[in-house]
Amino acid sequence: MKIISCIKPVPDPASRLVINETKTWIKDQDLTFVASEADNYALEEALRLKEKHGGEVVVISMGGEEAARVLRSGLAMGADRAIHLFDEKFKGADEFAAAEALAEAIRKDGGADLILTGVQSDDLGTGMTGVMLAEFLGIGHATVVVGVEANPDAKTLRAKRELEGGMNETVELPVPALLTIQFGINQPRYASLKGIMAAKKKEMKVLAAADLGLADHQVGRAGAMYEVKEVLIPERKSRVEILTGTPEEAAAKLVEKLRKEAKVL
Amino acid sequence: MIFVIAEHNNGRPKPITNELLVAAQRVSREFGQPVTAIVLGENTAAVADDLKSRKIDRVIRIDDPNLAQYSPDTYVTALNGLLADEKPFLVIAGHTTQGYDFAPRLAVKLRRPLIAGMVDFEKHGDRLILTRQIFNAKMNMKTAVRGEAPYLATASPGAFPGDEVEGGGNAEVVSYAAQLEGPSTRKVVDRAEAQKGQADLSSAPIIISGGRGLKQKENFQVIFDLAQSIGGSVGASRPVVDAEWLPREYQIGSSGQTVSPRLYIAVGISGAIQHLVGMQTSRCIVAINKDAEAPIFKVAHYGIVDDLFKVLPALTKIFNDLKAGS
Ligand SMILES: Cc1cc2nc3c(=O)[nH]c(=O)nc-3n(C[C@H](O)[C@H](O)[C@H](O)COP(=O)(O)OP(=O)(O)OC[C@H]3O[C@@H](n4cnc5c(N)ncnc54)[C@H](O)[C@@H]3O)c2cc1C
Ligand SMILES: Nc1ncnc2c1ncn2[C@@H]1O[C@H](COP(=O)(O)O)[C@@H](O)[C@H]1O
Repeated sequence: MKIISCIKPVPDPASRLVINETKTWIKDQDLTFVASEADNYALEEALRLKEKHGGEVVVISMGGEEAARVLRSGLAMGADRAIHLFDEKFKGADEFAAAEALAEAIRKDGGADLILTGVQSDDLGTGMTGVMLAEFLGIGHATVVVGVEANPDAKTLRAKRELEGGMNETVELPVPALLTIQFGINQPRYASLKGIMAAKKKEMKVLAAADLGLADHQVGRAGAMYEVKEVLIPERKSRVEILTGTPEEAAAKLVEKLRKEAKVL
Repeated sequence: MIFVIAEHNNGRPKPITNELLVAAQRVSREFGQPVTAIVLGENTAAVADDLKSRKIDRVIRIDDPNLAQYSPDTYVTALNGLLADEKPFLVIAGHTTQGYDFAPRLAVKLRRPLIAGMVDFEKHGDRLILTRQIFNAKMNMKTAVRGEAPYLATASPGAFPGDEVEGGGNAEVVSYAAQLEGPSTRKVVDRAEAQKGQADLSSAPIIISGGRGLKQKENFQVIFDLAQSIGGSVGASRPVVDAEWLPREYQIGSSGQTVSPRLYIAVGISGAIQHLVGMQTSRCIVAINKDAEAPIFKVAHYGIVDDLFKVLPALTKIFNDLKAGS
């Protein structure tokens, strides 16, 4: 089974995010980037499926230098090779433009039996990219997947989807297929020292927009379906009363409030 | 026209459908566009009948045995045909396991914009500006859709108050025959409750909930200590459960339990929308978080902006002293 696992580079969750001058994104110059958290679950699932059924795992990412770094980490975790969509022109892509570029790159690589993405990214965070990618490739998909069972002989797979209200639904679909992987489906492994060393020798293919046969108006900001008007810190309809002082003082004030004012104790 | 893709089960609209209708009615007031509810399924008469009493213009039923169970390919095919015939201005679905499962495919098929997870909107001239959350609700992004209509949006659950839906209508109900190629290639083989939880928190009067801010499993003891001193139950955000610090049944939120205790103390929890929908109706909410900008403070009544590892022991001590003194 050939499995492609998508990795999106996002600012390290510990970073302090500051909105840029044009208020269209964050200042991302001095940040460290890591794989978007759900993508670690997706890659772990890909590696487990390979361990069970054989084949190869390819990691793919669209982004600047930081994407090369998260791909290296993916290789260190155990992926066999990497594809890096790297071009100034990709900058400012929305989910639509990202999905179209990823689709072309995957097609160029000969497709895959299974494509995995995270359920949603830690920056844009709506989980659109994977589903759009499936439509661009004309293959079936399932979202919010918490369990995968592949049946390579029958060319089908079963995916357990997490629904609202504590329900799960298991769907069967033909491969090739795309799954968006939910947090907690597994416990992602850490890269071993040996893995990190081995990663240095693994293949990393770099593709630019022209390599994908995509015109300038189809990629990056130009290819996006929406224009970013403003990024802002949302106004808090602030009913909250912040209790100040040393931890002991704040705690004492809180207990007083809960007893005398809110009367919940 | 503004289309709302109604979600329903057992012949009744789901609560999210009213939220979508509220969003649509608000956009309708600004843009002067009538609202149409779309009901896909098999035997949709009862749902259509229920919906037509809302203040909307029309209900379109797409009745087909191949739509009896939700599936993205049949939904996309049916809606693609309808949209081509009707040319609406805006199509609103829920940002739900149904809505975000099909809307992105429809957007690609149509090559039209989709703004997912909409929480608000504005009118700039005659342009539609939709607001969504980014960076796990730390920031908002206002986006202008490009090009010609139709525009697609999925509305974030909880963003529009469903109880404000305007009623008093008597909408016309019409049928639309979808040109489906047959049944879906994605088949539902099983549907079951995720797990039978022992930790039923739905009737707990006091809940102390811990999040990723606890850093590691062992540290969760400070949550248990506080819960014990105050006589409360313990809950958790999803990452705590994903990392296996606690079993799944402790999880509160959209994919866990929904709770509404007298007192909910959120410790080291940022307040992502999926968590908030599970606890925001609690009578009194306390947030303890070192980040003053964490979205949890949006729903909290009282807050302490400080290191939880300092605040919790102090709180626990006060409660233990109170107990000893009484
Ligand atoms: C389909 C889907 C379903 C989901 N369902 C759920 C669900 O049911 N329930 C749920 O909770 N989530 C759910 N999520 C996940 C959700 O999106 C968030 O990722 C999650 O709620 C974040 O958990 P958290 O607040 O504990 O962690 P984080 O967002 O990482 O927040 C940790 C917080 O701790 C604070 N902190 C760190 N250290 C300290 C300290 N020393 N002292 C004080 N504060 C500190 C930080 O400032 C931060 O605000 C779901 C996601 C998806 C995609
Ligand atoms: N630039 C990208 N490169 C690789 N994968 C991506 C990229 N953008 C999105 N994805 C994948 O799509 C998932 C959902 O992203 P999003 O639609 O932003 O929520 C991510 O978790 C990734 O797996």
